[in-house]
Amino acid sequence: MLELQHIAKYYNPGTVNEMCLFQDFNLTVKDGQFVSVVGSNGSGKTSLLNLICGSIDLDAGSIVMDGKDITGEKEYRRLRRIGRVYQNPAMGTCPNMTILENMAMADNKGKFFGLGRGTDKSRIDHYREMLRQLNLGLEDKLQVKVGSLSGGQRQAMSLLMSTMTPIDFLILDEHTAALDPKTAERIMELTDEIVREKKLTTIMVTHNLRYAVEYGDRLLMLHQGRAVMDLEGEEKKNLKVEQILDQFNAISIECGN
Amino acid sequence: MDFLITIVEQGLIYGILALGVYITYRILDFPDLTVDGSFPLGAAVTAALITRGVNPYLTLLISFAAGVLAGICTGLIHVKFKVRDLLSGIIMMTALYTVNLVVAGTNNVPLFSQETIFNNSMLTGIFGEEIPGVVTILVILVVALICKLLLDFYMNTKSGYLLRAVGDNENLVTSLAKDKGNVKILGLAISNGLVALGGCVFCQEEKVFDISVGTGSMVIGLASVIIGVSLFRKLTFVKATTAVFVGAIIYKACVAAAIRFFEPQAMKLITAVLFLVILVISMERKQKKKLQLQEAGKGEHHA
Amino acid sequence: MKKKMVSLMITAALLTAAFAGCGAKTSASESENSSGGESYTIGISQFAEHGSLDNCREGFLEGLKEEGLEEGKNLTVKVNNAASDMGTAAQIAQSFVADKVDLICAIATPAAQAAYNAAMDKGIPVVYTAVTNPEEAQLADSDGKPVGAVTGTSDQLPVEAQLKMIRELLPDAKTIGILYTTSEANSVYSISQYEKLAGDYGFTLETAGVTNTSEVSLAAADLLDKVDCLTNLTDNTVVSALPSVLDAANKKNIPVFGSEIEQVKNGCLAAEGLDYVNLGIETGKMAAKILKGEASAEDMNYELLTDSSLYINQAVADELGIAIPDSMTERAVEVFDEIAQ
Repeated sequence: MLELQHIAKYYNPGTVNEMCLFQDFNLTVKDGQFVSVVGSNGSGKTSLLNLICGSIDLDAGSIVMDGKDITGEKEYRRLRRIGRVYQNPAMGTCPNMTILENMAMADNKGKFFGLGRGTDKSRIDHYREMLRQLNLGLEDKLQVKVGSLSGGQRQAMSLLMSTMTPIDFLILDEHTAALDPKTAERIMELTDEIVREKKLTTIMVTHNLRYAVEYGDRLLMLHQGRAVMDLEGEEKKNLKVEQILDQFNAISIECGN
Repeated sequence: MDFLITIVEQGLIYGILALGVYITYRILDFPDLTVDGSFPLGAAVTAALITRGVNPYLTLLISFAAGVLAGICTGLIHVKFKVRDLLSGIIMMTALYTVNLVVAGTNNVPLFSQETIFNNSMLTGIFGEEIPGVVTILVILVVALICKLLLDFYMNTKSGYLLRAVGDNENLVTSLAKDKGNVKILGLAISNGLVALGGCVFCQEEKVFDISVGTGSMVIGLASVIIGVSLFRKLTFVKATTAVFVGAIIYKACVAAAIRFFEPQAMKLITAVLFLVILVISMERKQKKKLQLQEAGKGEHHA
Repeated sequence: MKKKMVSLMITAALLTAAFAGCGAKTSASESENSSGGESYTIGISQFAEHGSLDNCREGFLEGLKEEGLEEGKNLTVKVNNAASDMGTAAQIAQSFVADKVDLICAIATPAAQAAYNAAMDKGIPVVYTAVTNPEEAQLADSDGKPVGAVTGTSDQLPVEAQLKMIRELLPDAKTIGILYTTSEANSVYSISQYEKLAGDYGFTLETAGVTNTSEVSLAAADLLDKVDCLTNLTDNTVVSALPSVLDAANKKNIPVFGSEIEQVKNGCLAAEGLDYVNLGIETGKMAAKILKGEASAEDMNYELLTDSSLYINQAVADELGIAIPDSMTERAVEVFDEIAQ
């Protein structure tokens, strides 16, 4: 379970540009829940993820993960239990290393990176099998550098790599936004499969209202650091895109886009 | 012939330094100026140890360790005090100048009458009183080869993967729940260890430590890496470590050519021009390749 | 295949450059050798571009000429300058060895060490000059005997004569200041000489070490607060920043003593210095003996210039209001009436 308690976050504190993003923000995500987060630009979606992962510091409040306060914990320590996929497909992989090397590295997450062989030969078939499930033909390109793959292929790999080892939380930061519609669709299906199979507690930020409605069992609409809509259970299940479109347009217009 | 051997000798020695520069410049993407201090550090440590009768082969390890320490310091300054990369290197380079003087005791320590890795009782035991000249290049070759192979090996370990990842996409290192700062420090440590080892071998080959030995070593290292890597583009990592040595030898050949065939005043200019010519040649080749690829691409479309 | 192509191209480029230069040089030396008789080839390795070192080199060739070995007639000379880089000095020496020159002349300590290191097993004698302390540089043993086929001249400063001269000109001075570069072996050695002898003439010593030219004026300003006069060594770094030192000293009316003729010409009050041309000539004569086979380098101890020469700048003395005794003016090798700009 993930709890955000009384979170406050300001940007540029003490200057004329001071901006309050969150003030007394609270959110509880239950184990196994798949939360889709939508909202206008600047509503704090990505900042919310950054706060959870520890990429940015918060100004007040606390973050509790499974009963343990992790507010002061460094980003890289928190990420032991968290997998994260970014909007930019380049963020989740190493372009100058081969597919195999990337997979082997991800496979070693949470373990010691010592002087053992970087790629465990006996695991190669396993990697190949995982890649085959993507249906992108990557299983035959193990020695190819990731930098030469397309954005969609890289993002698929990022997703695979961030969920390869046992983790409890998955953070998806508009991870389909940079992809063409067809690839985005495939990546979303894949995400859903992985989340179900591994029973991951997931928070997905997206710009695509259809994905937000179609996937996940809870929907959160953020506006100016507040949740203006929070639907779950039956309500969420029967939700149609049209029902939230009006409100979404309203907050978007308010923001000028 | 002797002339060529000399070039190869010097090239291989500076190639060890260039291996270190390769780690920071190409892998970590960290312009590390510590090199100008850690190269003479290796030499200073070696001079100090050899004059105290320490086994010359042992100095190789101790110099490496000294370089590692210097690299760790640069890393700590950069990572923990959040000083910019260039500045951290400059700070350490400046500090090392004094350290080197203190370690060596003075600014010029000759080792003419001392045992070195090229001339010692073990070698005279094998070859007799007159050690053949070829032994020098063999010893250098062995040291260089060991460095290259160990580095190749390391780069394919889990730890090595992480090092390559931190320069490639440090974000991924964080995602793997590893502290990227520590990985950078590790990289700087290994890099400066190699640089200091180069200084150690150079000092023994020249049989003298002089504080001026570090001047411009960063530039030589960088030039070697760039020449080597641009000549042998498109190669996997294992070969890149070889390319770096070839680059160092070519650089030294440029200097040698300038010394041998041109007016003394023109030496630096000639070296620079030769360096440029090589870079241009290698870039032209790259462009040609690009053109070929483009043409090949067109052909496919037409078909 | 392509890799090979490239490396071939590079080799070709280097070789072309090499032959282009080579052709020019050979033709020159052929004509040089046509005058008949025994002819020799020597290599001169100079460590840095520097006035005194240039004087050494010129003197060296003059000394050879006096002994009948003249460049262009029966002598081919290759000159190289390492631009203060140890690695280059080594390569220069090795290139001379590869060319099988008859003798290497090395100017300044690092060049001498590099030359000896390259030539020691190859039977090529090395003659050095401008090495302040051959013993410490391990070019000579503690008795002054060469450690191998390596000998030459030392440019040890006549510290005692200098102190005596300063005392004569400034009877009331108590503290002498010296600026030096911590990386220059010669300077560090000279400082130790001054430390040893200053007391004998009633002086205390204040020194300030720098690491490069840019620090000299700062160090000078600091030192000038503490001393009655400054004296220079043959420190390359400090000498190249001499104008800024003189400028600061003049403002405080503090005299600056030099260590060689050039410094006095440029505005130092006086110097008991070495004449580097003379030093070079002595070295050249030693080299001539070795080349002609009259002596072998192994048996020749290194030499010192025994006599120092006094140089005075009257214009500076007038500005400072210091009266120079006639005895000194008479003794001086050269008295300058103006400050060279």
